Amino acid sequence: MGKIAVLTNDLQGDVVFLTPERTAVMKEAQPHYTGFLDEMRKRGHTVYHLQLINLPDDPNANRRADGTLPLQRGTEGAEILPEFLGEGDVVVEKNKDSGFYETELHDLLQAAGVDTVLVTGLQTQICVQTTAADAFFRGYNVWVPSDCVVSDNPADRDRSLTWLSGYCATVADSKEILDVLDAQDALPRRVAKTLP
Amino acid sequence: MASLDEVVLDHGSGAKLSGDLISLVVDTLGEVYTGEMEDSAVLSPPAGRIAMTTDSFVVDPPFFGNGNIGKIAVCGTVNDLAVVGARPLYLTLGMILETGLPMARLLEVVTAIRDTALEAGVQIVCGDTKVVRKGEVDQIYLNTAGVGVFERPPLRMRDVRAGDRVILSGPIGNHTVHLLSIREGLGFEQRVLSDCAPLNGLLDHLFDQVGEGAVRSVRDVTRGGLAAVLHEYAKASGRTIRFDKEKLPIQFETVMATDMLGINAIHAANEGCLCLFVDPAAEDRVLAALRAHKYAAEAVSIGEVTAGEGPVVLMREDGRDSVVEELQGAELPRLC
Repeated sequence: MGKIAVLTNDLQGDVVFLTPERTAVMKEAQPHYTGFLDEMRKRGHTVYHLQLINLPDDPNANRRADGTLPLQRGTEGAEILPEFLGEGDVVVEKNKDSGFYETELHDLLQAAGVDTVLVTGLQTQICVQTTAADAFFRGYNVWVPSDCVVSDNPADRDRSLTWLSGYCATVADSKEILDVLDAQDALPRRVAKTLP
Repeated sequence: MASLDEVVLDHGSGAKLSGDLISLVVDTLGEVYTGEMEDSAVLSPPAGRIAMTTDSFVVDPPFFGNGNIGKIAVCGTVNDLAVVGARPLYLTLGMILETGLPMARLLEVVTAIRDTALEAGVQIVCGDTKVVRKGEVDQIYLNTAGVGVFERPPLRMRDVRAGDRVILSGPIGNHTVHLLSIREGLGFEQRVLSDCAPLNGLLDHLFDQVGEGAVRSVRDVTRGGLAAVLHEYAKASGRTIRFDKEKLPIQFETVMATDMLGINAIHAANEGCLCLFVDPAAEDRVLAALRAHKYAAEAVSIGEVTAGEGPVVLMREDGRDSVVEELQGAELPRLC
């Protein structure tokens, strides 16, 4: 039986505090989100934080109004927020939406024997959705805790969760995931569709 | 001292470095380049009518998973000549290069041009190179103009009739999804590849198999996608074109991506897909011939031209028809 890993997306100051709406929804989600990460750590599952770093020559990176690039390597705004970090966590740099796009994530997960990933973070309809799809294409069993993903607009989050459950992931709230995990010591693959 | 590892302004100055760069390009093109470095190519006109076309290429990103801008620049012009029934003969090659473009990258593009031209059986007869400052273009833009000769009657939109079947030579949407996925790192780029291909060989094969008259008209499904092609034909013929949504050939991962991105695959650009209007009596023969070729193995009949209600495009879904509106603007820039 393979291991389970939790992936977080973009838990960084430059992302979380970008807009008042996002700051507010993250503040609301944070207690049970960090609680879920702690529960997973207690059960021996590693948390991988996907850290978005904008490359200076990326023409598609979103710039600030003054033209400067946020999320630069080594800056405070690019650091993973300390309240989400725990002992044994792994930080993986990414430069695009999917955490697997030209990163070491897949190799790290394979080396660790991971076959199931729980994809969390923000925003649901961008980085969570693409990372989950990419994980699915690479053969992982993908779960998404619905209360540990965030979007500025709740309608975007809901639409994205519908897409995820329809195509490539099992969507459940964090309590249900922990209950299944405790009862079965595994998260069984519920998505029928598999790809060659 | 200018670095020769990357393109510098002097490569476009007309002086020695320009000559060095052109020599490198010509050497890389090899036998595909038949020019003689004069101000114009001197060519004997082919007998009969010719077709001419031109296209500019600004694809973002210029280097993608299974191709690059050079391959698109040959395919785009070759396909435009082939779909009107001409045999592509000659291409021109214009290049606008950004200062700082690594020379190795430029040679990747030129190599793709050579390989694709060899496959398509066309010659590069003349060219031009300009270099601009950083930021004035995005790495490399190309222009190719092409000349083809008619060895069979031209295929015209006006020849489409009521009752003609509408056939697609392959899946739609893949080129768009592949490029958008690379731009943003969406995770689909390994599963969904660009369909970019020179299709003149496919059409030669088809006409060898089915003869003249079976295929009334052909269009390559590029910018604007299938919907734009069908609207053009509806307007040109004054007829209604109806297709069945469930018959559209769309790869599963492309369905996922277009659903995620809020794109309708019928509006997505392609670089290796033909839309054919076919005599209904020849439909099965045309499909069989197409499916025997590597670039049309998934060819499928999606609908028909009807006398109908005038120049409209209808999509049938769950037994009901809905009007496909024409897009007012380009939602997806720089796909070719």
